Amino acid sequence: MSESREAVTPPAGRAPARASRWRGWALSTLMVLLLLAALEAGHRVLETRSQAPLYRVIVAGESLTLEAEAHAAFSRDLERLAAEAETALAARMASWTEARLAQAFAPLEAAVPGYLDWYFSLGGSYLRLAMGLAGDPATWLEAQRQRRLIEASGIETALADLQTAHAARLAREQRAVVEAMSATLLERYAPRSVSGAEAPGVAPLTIDLDGRMDEALLTTLDARRWQAAALGGSGIGLMVGRPLARRLAAGAVGQGGRVALRALATRLGAGAARSLASGGAAAAVTAPTGPGALMVGAATTAAGLAGLVGGELALLKLQEAHQRPALEARLFEGMAEARRDAAGALGLTVSAAAVRLAEGLEAPVGRSEPAAGEARPEAYRILDRLGLTAESDV
Amino acid sequence: MAGRGTISGPLRRHGHLALAALMLLVWSFSSDDWAGALFLPVWVVATQLIVVGSLEAARLRRRAWLGQYLRDDSPWRRWLEGGALMVLRHQLVGALLALVLLVDLRLLSLAEWPLLLAALPALVLARHRLRRRLSRHVVAEYLPAVTRRLLVAPIAALLALAMVLAALWLPQPWLVELGWEEAITRHLAAGEGGGLLGVFERLAASAELTRQWAMQNAVERLHLATPVAVLGWLVLLLTQGAVAWAYVRLLVGAEALRREGRSPRRGPSGEPAPATDRETRP
Repeated sequence: MSESREAVTPPAGRAPARASRWRGWALSTLMVLLLLAALEAGHRVLETRSQAPLYRVIVAGESLTLEAEAHAAFSRDLERLAAEAETALAARMASWTEARLAQAFAPLEAAVPGYLDWYFSLGGSYLRLAMGLAGDPATWLEAQRQRRLIEASGIETALADLQTAHAARLAREQRAVVEAMSATLLERYAPRSVSGAEAPGVAPLTIDLDGRMDEALLTTLDARRWQAAALGGSGIGLMVGRPLARRLAAGAVGQGGRVALRALATRLGAGAARSLASGGAAAAVTAPTGPGALMVGAATTAAGLAGLVGGELALLKLQEAHQRPALEARLFEGMAEARRDAAGALGLTVSAAAVRLAEGLEAPVGRSEPAAGEARPEAYRILDRLGLTAESDV
Repeated sequence: MAGRGTISGPLRRHGHLALAALMLLVWSFSSDDWAGALFLPVWVVATQLIVVGSLEAARLRRRAWLGQYLRDDSPWRRWLEGGALMVLRHQLVGALLALVLLVDLRLLSLAEWPLLLAALPALVLARHRLRRRLSRHVVAEYLPAVTRRLLVAPIAALLALAMVLAALWLPQPWLVELGWEEAITRHLAAGEGGGLLGVFERLAASAELTRQWAMQNAVERLHLATPVAVLGWLVLLLTQGAVAWAYVRLLVGAEALRREGRSPRRGPSGEPAPATDRETRP
């Protein structure tokens, strides 16, 4: 039926065809626009109806209900504060560490005059001479230093005490920083909190910042794995106290302290060995001012005993006046270096703890969990899994 | 005419199919901003393509029905021939189908695109063979339309099957022993905005995650026997068939639009005169 009509009027058929095609496109556009408008409107309605997601944040024991916008600002602030935590912690710890280090090193420094007195004493000098002649004066001198300087001053225990005190102090300071952070956040966001009168239907997304901070503190102070103990035990208050300190003494800080001590011993040793080399064995045997001269003198001239002792003492005093300031300076220099090392090690633990604290605070709740938990497979391949289940079933 | 076809090559002859697929490919891998900006035009084009194909099929069906039951001189013929109501209905369905297709395509991984692209030559080949088979039986006037109509189901089924097999092989996020909310919050890309398209994408993604979560946990926790598990996965994954179906309909619609556009002659009622389809002549 259409054949004939088309055959008769082909140009007339072309126009309606094109028109109908355009009509189709226009209709499609219209339909899509309508649908889009309808869906957009529905989306809007849903959005206003749901009043945007509410977030519940627990800060400093207070529960704040924040709207999405305030929550975003809150997250940003938290991130910033967590980033600032490192400098804050370092600043809080620096002066304390400095004072405590000075306190710990004070007995050592105080022991230096005694050591030098012995070093330049009559008995000490003869012993030095004997050891210098017998060989291996370095180990002997090191043992002497160990006994007379390090053990006498109690620096080892002082440093160990300092480590434990430092850990405890760090924990306290961290807690203080975190609490200051919570207080700041609370002060800033308490006014923006939505009064929780409405919307009893859907529980808002709750973020327990207090819990997260506690968790972050735990993960910073302990190398993880303490959550179980904390959950089973009587809370976090105990955790940051003695057991933590005891544990930490064997941890990174302890190692840092040990390294510092070893460095101290070798550093003092280096200085002393040098002093022995210059003013010790070699000089003692050949130089006219050392005890060697005395020996030579005693052997060859056989002078009077009183004169001998007097001359010996005078010679010793001479040597002491000559060498003592340099030796003392070297000892103090070594101590200062050891102190800087110890301060550096402690500072490193502080900044590491701060970084871990910041990470623990910044990481979303969900994402920090799998890192702590056991490894979870990344992907699920149906075919593989079915193969596995088939094996286990059979 | 046949010489022109061989000279210009298959790309020229089937350029419309390649163009349609390329449009979808480029759009679905463009950045969020671009995709959001181009969402409306792409949606319109996809809708129109789907509608053209489905309108052609619907008119074919309607005509057959009318020719079967009504007298030639009945006025019902004109009323029932398919007018504004039918067009509107198909536009609406087509727009929704295009929306589903587009949103699902955005979520499709790159690994599944070769399948979609492989559907193009498959479609062309199947059309040729089917048309040759049908040419001895079907009235020449309706041959292309009938060919297209019969083409949709097998190609869509094949594509859906291929996509299901690919989904069995492709990795999914590990959701076993996670709570549903946890799974959603962990694996749904947390993005605000993105406009309406973003909302649709998140909606579709959460639906897919929910499916995977349900099935993974069912399989792992209940220790389902392998046949049962496979059956469950197949049933769940067959929802991906919707994508394949819509995609094939879109391609067939592009084909219909091209062939229809080539023909200058159309009935006054707006029906295409399929006999003038030059390309489909054997």
